[in-house]
Amino acid sequence: MKRTLNDAEIDPILSGKYEILPSSGFVASVMDAVRREATAPPPIPFPWRRALPGLALVVATLVLVAIVGFAAFTQGGGVPAPQVVAGAQSALAQALRAKLVTAALWAGMSLVLAWAIVKLSLRLSTGHA
Amino acid sequence: MSANDDQAAVERVLGGDVSAFEEIVQRWQGPLINLAYRFCRDRGRAEELAQEAFLRAYRGLKQWRQEASFSTWLFALATNLYRSELRRIPARTVPIEDVPEPADTRISATNFEDRDRDSAVRRAVLALPAKYREALILFYFHEMDVPAAARSLGLPEGTVKARLFRGREILRNKLPQTLSVPYLKEA
Repeated sequence: MKRTLNDAEIDPILSGKYEILPSSGFVASVMDAVRREATAPPPIPFPWRRALPGLALVVATLVLVAIVGFAAFTQGGGVPAPQVVAGAQSALAQALRAKLVTAALWAGMSLVLAWAIVKLSLRLSTGHA
Repeated sequence: MSANDDQAAVERVLGGDVSAFEEIVQRWQGPLINLAYRFCRDRGRAEELAQEAFLRAYRGLKQWRQEASFSTWLFALATNLYRSELRRIPARTVPIEDVPEPADTRISATNFEDRDRDSAVRRAVLALPAKYREALILFYFHEMDVPAAARSLGLPEGTVKARLFRGREILRNKLPQTLSVPYLKEA
């Protein structure tokens, strides 16, 4: 029959300060890792000076789009007027009717631009000229 | 090694003497490994966690404000790491035969019944929800010192006391026949 544990028995079970001893090579292993850390080159900081003009341009574009959108919205009296919606539908239809060649050209240019950005970023991050 | 020795070692490390960090590792390896072992009950993983804690301490030595003692800062850092790692990859249940012999002979189980009992209590603690388990582990690790446990967990003492109370309640329900949990010491 099981008996109930008392305080004097439960305390050592959960409060024994040192249950295991560190392995003999533990300090050496930690110090190896610390020395590797100390000799590793510092992480590359984010190139804020290079990125700021681009970020500023993106923010300015977004603000401009928001202003134009808001102006178009308020022209309709605070709610999307039927003519605004109709105009948007018409513009969408026009865009969809644009020549396939022009669209492909833009897509191709975007891909080339994306590839160039990736290559440049990799060169900068790996330090190769 | 005293608190002043810790401070001197830290200053030397910050001054560029990496080898001075070995003094810190020598002093705190036992507590940090044993604290990790309480969280995971796996010797290998405990050493890996403790090594990562030392590495993070090395990286963040400048952040030690010296308002609290070095040990308080180190335990809080290690506790944070152990908690997040154990939430990412929970501890597995270790078979009783894999549990290493205690280093402290005062807590040695004298027979299989005692070992079963000890193992059952520890397994029950590991099976608790994380917030209660962490409070109990830190409370007992700091020799039933609620303020020290609260500092390591970065929680108010009242929260730690409430979690200890609730954790013990759950433990009582899990081990109704074998466990009678001691009352919380006054902080």
